[in-house]
Amino acid sequence: MSVMTLRMPRHFISDHPLPWLLPLIAILLVFAVYPFFYNIWLSAYEFIPKRRGLDFVGFDNWLKLFADPRLWNALWVTLFYTGICLVIEVALGMAIALLIDSDDPGFGFLRGLLTLTLVIPPAITGMMFLLMEDAQFGVIAAFLGDVGLIAPQTSILAEPSLALWGVVLADIWQRTPFMVLIFVAGLRALPSDPYESAMIDGASGWQILYRITLPMMGKVIAIAVLIRGIDLFRAFDYVFVMTSGGPGTATYTLSLYAWQQTFSFIKWGYGATISLFALFIVLLVANLFVSLTKLRW
Amino acid sequence: MLLTPWQRALRIGAAWAVVSAFAFPIVYWLMIAFKPDRDIFSIPPRVFGFVPTVQSFEEVFGISLGFEHGLEVLPGGGNFYMLPRLWDSIVIAVFSTILAVAIATLAAYPLSRMRFRGQHHFVFWVLSTRMMPPVAVAIPMFFIYKNFGLLDTYTGIILIHALMNMPLAVLLLKSFFDDIPVEIDEAALIDGASRFKIFRKIVLPMATGGIAATAVLCFIFSWTEFLFVLTLTQTSLKTVPVVSSTFVTSTGTAWGNMAALGAAAMVPAFVFILLVQKNLVRGLTLGSLKQ
Repeated sequence: MSVMTLRMPRHFISDHPLPWLLPLIAILLVFAVYPFFYNIWLSAYEFIPKRRGLDFVGFDNWLKLFADPRLWNALWVTLFYTGICLVIEVALGMAIALLIDSDDPGFGFLRGLLTLTLVIPPAITGMMFLLMEDAQFGVIAAFLGDVGLIAPQTSILAEPSLALWGVVLADIWQRTPFMVLIFVAGLRALPSDPYESAMIDGASGWQILYRITLPMMGKVIAIAVLIRGIDLFRAFDYVFVMTSGGPGTATYTLSLYAWQQTFSFIKWGYGATISLFALFIVLLVANLFVSLTKLRW
Repeated sequence: MLLTPWQRALRIGAAWAVVSAFAFPIVYWLMIAFKPDRDIFSIPPRVFGFVPTVQSFEEVFGISLGFEHGLEVLPGGGNFYMLPRLWDSIVIAVFSTILAVAIATLAAYPLSRMRFRGQHHFVFWVLSTRMMPPVAVAIPMFFIYKNFGLLDTYTGIILIHALMNMPLAVLLLKSFFDDIPVEIDEAALIDGASRFKIFRKIVLPMATGGIAATAVLCFIFSWTEFLFVLTLTQTSLKTVPVVSSTFVTSTGTAWGNMAALGAAAMVPAFVFILLVQKNLVRGLTLGSLKQ
C-alpha cells in the first residue's frame, strides 16, 4: 500500500463536517425551526382581548380556516396571481431573451440596463405604480385610457375587476427581466450542432424554436419557474402598499391575509394558522415540482 | 442564424424599444424626484416639460442646496427628514451581509468538499428554508422577539435578514467552491495541511470573486426587504422601503419626497448590481445555473 492511501483516509475522515456546519445549523434552528414549531403552538391558541391573554382553542383555528370563505378567496387570488404572472413572465421573458441574445454592439448594454429593475425595493416599485396607475395623475392610466383599453380617468386599483391586474403589471415590469437574464444565459449555453443540422434540413424559425430551443431549455425554464413561483406565492409587498387587499377582497393574498389577521385584527392564533397553511402548500408544491423536474442542487 | 441587414436593424430597433419600455418607470421616477409639486399633479399627466428643483432632496436629506427650503413639519409633528432611515438601511444590510457570508462560507466548504451521510437531505433542508413564506416566519418571530426584547433593535433585524439570505449564500458559495478543482485540496492534504488551513489559504483566496458576488446579492436582498422590517420594528428604526410606504399625509401623498428617497435607495443598488453582472444569473438561480 502506498503512502498516499495510508494518509489520505485519516485526513478525510478525521475532518468531520459538523464543526463547519454548526453556525449554520444553529441559526437555522433558532430562526427557522423554532419559529415553525412556535407557529404550530400559536395556532392552537387564540388571543382573547377581554382577558388580554391567550386561550387554548385546540383545532378550532383550523376548523375556522377551512370554513372561512375569505381564506379560500385569498388562496384563489394568490394562485391566480402566481399563475398569471408566471405565464406572462415566462412567455415575455423568452421573447425578449430571444430578441436581445445577440453579440451586436449595444446588446450587452441593453442586458445590463434590464437588470436594474431587479434591485428596486418592491415596496418602492409598488409606490411607483400606485402613482402611475392613479386615475388623474397617472401616466399608465392615461396611456391605457388613450388607447381605449380602459375608460378614461379609471382608477385601476380601485376597480375590483382591474385591481389585481394593476398589481400584476408592477410584478411583470419588475420581474420579467429576471426571466430574460436566466433565459439569455440558458440560450448562450446551448450547443450549436442541432441548429446547424436544422438549418441544413431547411427548418423554419418557428420549427427551430419549438423543436430545438424550447425543449433544450427545459431545465432552465424549470429552475426559473420554481424560484419565481416560490416568490410569487408569498406576494405581500405590492399588495400591501398598492391596495391593502382591496377593493373589497380583490387583491387579498394569503400572506397579506395572515399578516392582517395577526397584526390588524389581533387574531394571533388565526393569523399563525393561515401562515402555516401557506407554508404547507408552498412546501408541498415546490417539493413535488423539484422531484418531478428532477432538479438538483 | 444569419440576418439580412434589414432584419438586423429591425432587431436592434425592437430591442431598444423593449428595453426603453422597461427603463421608462425608472426614468419617470427619477424625474418625479426633481419635479415641483404642481408638475407632479398635472392633469392630464405630463412626463416632460418641467422646471427641475432639488427641493424634495433637500427635505429628505435635511440639507440646504441653496434653495431656501428648511424642514417642513407635517401635521402630527413628523417630517420627511430620512437620513437616519438611510443609515438604518445601511447598518442592517452591511452587518446582515457580513454575518450571512461568514456563516455560509464556513458551511459551504464541507458541502462542496466532504461527503457525509445525509448530505443531500441537508442541502435540501437549507433549500427548503428558502421556500418558506416570510409571513410564516415573521408572525412567530414577532412574539419570540417580544419575549426576548429584540423587537425594534438592529440585532433583531440583522439576524433575521442573515437567516433570510442563508440559503442563497450557502448554495451559491457551494457552487463557487465546486468550481475550484478538488485536486488542489487533495494535494495539500497529502502535504499534511489541515482542512481549515486549506480553506483559509487556498479555497478562500481562490473564491474571492464568488464571495464578493454573494455578498453583493445578500446586501441587495437585505436592502430591498420589506415584510420583516415592517413586522419587527416599531419606532426606533425603519429601513427605506418600509418608510417609503408611510409618505401618505393628511394632505395627500408626498410623491416628490418619496421619489427622492427612492432615487437615493436605488442608485447604490444599481451600482452594485452592475458590478456582479458576470455572476448574476448564478446568484438568481441559487447557484444552479452558470453563465
